[in-house]
Amino acid sequence: MIVDIVQTLLNGLAAGAAYALLGVGFTMMFGVMRRLNLSYGATLMFGGYLGALLASRAGGALPDAALVLLAAAVTVAGATLAGLYVERLCFAPLRGRSGVAAMVSSFAVWMQIEEFSTWLLPLHTNPYPAPFNVASWQLGALTLRPEHLLTLLVAVLVAILLHRLLRASRFGLAVRTLSDSPAAAQAVGIDAGRTTLLAFLAASTVGGIGAWLVLVADQQVTPMFGMWSMAKGLIAMMLGGLGSIPGAVAGGLLLGVLEASGQALFGPQIRELIAWGALFLVLVLRPGGLFGRAAFDLDIAAHQRL
Amino acid sequence: MSDFAVGLISNIGMITFVALSAYLLLVSGSISFGQQAYFGLGAYAAGIATTLWDWPLALGLAFGALTGALGGGLVGALTRRLHGLYFAIATLAFAEMTRLALDLWRYQRPIGGELVGPDGPNGFAGIRRAFTDGWEPLSFMILIWVLLAGTMLVLILFERSRSGAALRGAGEDPVLARALGTDVARLRVNTAAAAGAIAGLGGGLYAHLNTYIEPRLFDVMLGVHALAYGIIGGLGTAFGPLIGVLIDIGILESSRLFQGWRMVVFGGLVALLLIWRPRGLLDEATVRRLRRLFTTPARHA
Repeated sequence: MIVDIVQTLLNGLAAGAAYALLGVGFTMMFGVMRRLNLSYGATLMFGGYLGALLASRAGGALPDAALVLLAAAVTVAGATLAGLYVERLCFAPLRGRSGVAAMVSSFAVWMQIEEFSTWLLPLHTNPYPAPFNVASWQLGALTLRPEHLLTLLVAVLVAILLHRLLRASRFGLAVRTLSDSPAAAQAVGIDAGRTTLLAFLAASTVGGIGAWLVLVADQQVTPMFGMWSMAKGLIAMMLGGLGSIPGAVAGGLLLGVLEASGQALFGPQIRELIAWGALFLVLVLRPGGLFGRAAFDLDIAAHQRL
Repeated sequence: MSDFAVGLISNIGMITFVALSAYLLLVSGSISFGQQAYFGLGAYAAGIATTLWDWPLALGLAFGALTGALGGGLVGALTRRLHGLYFAIATLAFAEMTRLALDLWRYQRPIGGELVGPDGPNGFAGIRRAFTDGWEPLSFMILIWVLLAGTMLVLILFERSRSGAALRGAGEDPVLARALGTDVARLRVNTAAAAGAIAGLGGGLYAHLNTYIEPRLFDVMLGVHALAYGIIGGLGTAFGPLIGVLIDIGILESSRLFQGWRMVVFGGLVALLLIWRPRGLLDEATVRRLRRLFTTPARHA
């Protein structure tokens, strides 16, 4: 019984670590732009499709290890490149203007990228190269799956790097100032356009890494991945509080644990229902998110600091 | 008229109901990603009423609209303190919950020797009331458009009324609207209920035209498309959503020219259009200019 609970928690945390990265990417974009990027999932799907395309074209010619690493690089680079396209087309021209228009525009581009990806690989299910020929390890009664360990390890590493980048560099300071208060950023001479673009690309990269972790665990990519990864990123971000990076990490982990326990208790059909239900409840009862400082209070916080 | 044309024109009409529903909320300053939920609820409710309870078609459609209104009003009341993105995401969460709950819901009865009714992910087949009552695809198409025209007329008259002006005012500047004495929270709940009713009516028509519905038809794609149609067509007039639907379904989907590339073309066009006109083709300024064009002689008389 206890073992089952610990095992479920472990599975949930591993899934949640990937959700956390998806949420962090999403929330960083929101933080600098105050806009929702609806094509976020589609750009991640595009990266995943490039990785699968590589495997289907060059799979036989490369050693397994090289293929896995190359697919990871291609996926993350693809997501970042698609992010560049989205930022230039949907967000840069509409900066400081209608937020709804930018959002609808990014939705239109979602459809565009999704259709383009399925044109690259028309099959519904496409195998994705994964490094796990290793069997699961047994630790007493617990099962440790290699993809879970990889996810946790990579997620922690990315979180540390991102923390360093945001807390200990000029660029990070600019990003944080811009997220806290665009007016303050302008007053101290931060180039908002350039900072937004770079932060957007960094966020796409983080999202791309999260997507890669999910794809190697699933060992496949389908056209549903765009919608799916956007939903997970969105829920992780909102549970933790819109615009807060530590919040998105906590939200992602919580989402993973909630889903895993829901599935263990009530079966797989309830899994998604629980995720959306939790989001709805949090929004109605505590719109600023469960943890930490939310965008709700960001302006107040920034004013106090000034 | 060919079957293809009748089907296409009926489809444009039904999707316009969801687009109008998203438009009404946009005018009131709320973005909703979840109007597909009320379209779906309306479709299920109307189908159940006419098929399982043997209600007449008109009552069934009214019941669908009422269910949509109750759903919209409930979500509107629960989220009345939320604005902007928070409201948008709450509506999305509710819509996904509705879709997933319909996936789990079974309510079947034997009718004429076979089990009829919602059957989870297998959907709800055999909603034949309209056709056993003698409606043809062509006459049903006319019914759809008569109801759509009626809905649009009500919306246009409403927008010219005092409450319509209050609604637009609350959308543009809620603080100012409150200062002018508008009860913004209540207005939002009522608008959400009205938007739910419009989507629910469209859903009832959809269920009876296709005779088959399933939860995955009412996914977020439908809702976000509806929102996009509303804003592409323009936020200045209730004709806007119809124009948005016409551009996408009428021109791009039905023409063979863009086969396989429709979304690439549509997506690119929308992105460029919105850089040029962030509030859509028929935005408020354009509508004012058009109106002036028609009323100029009167002003000088």
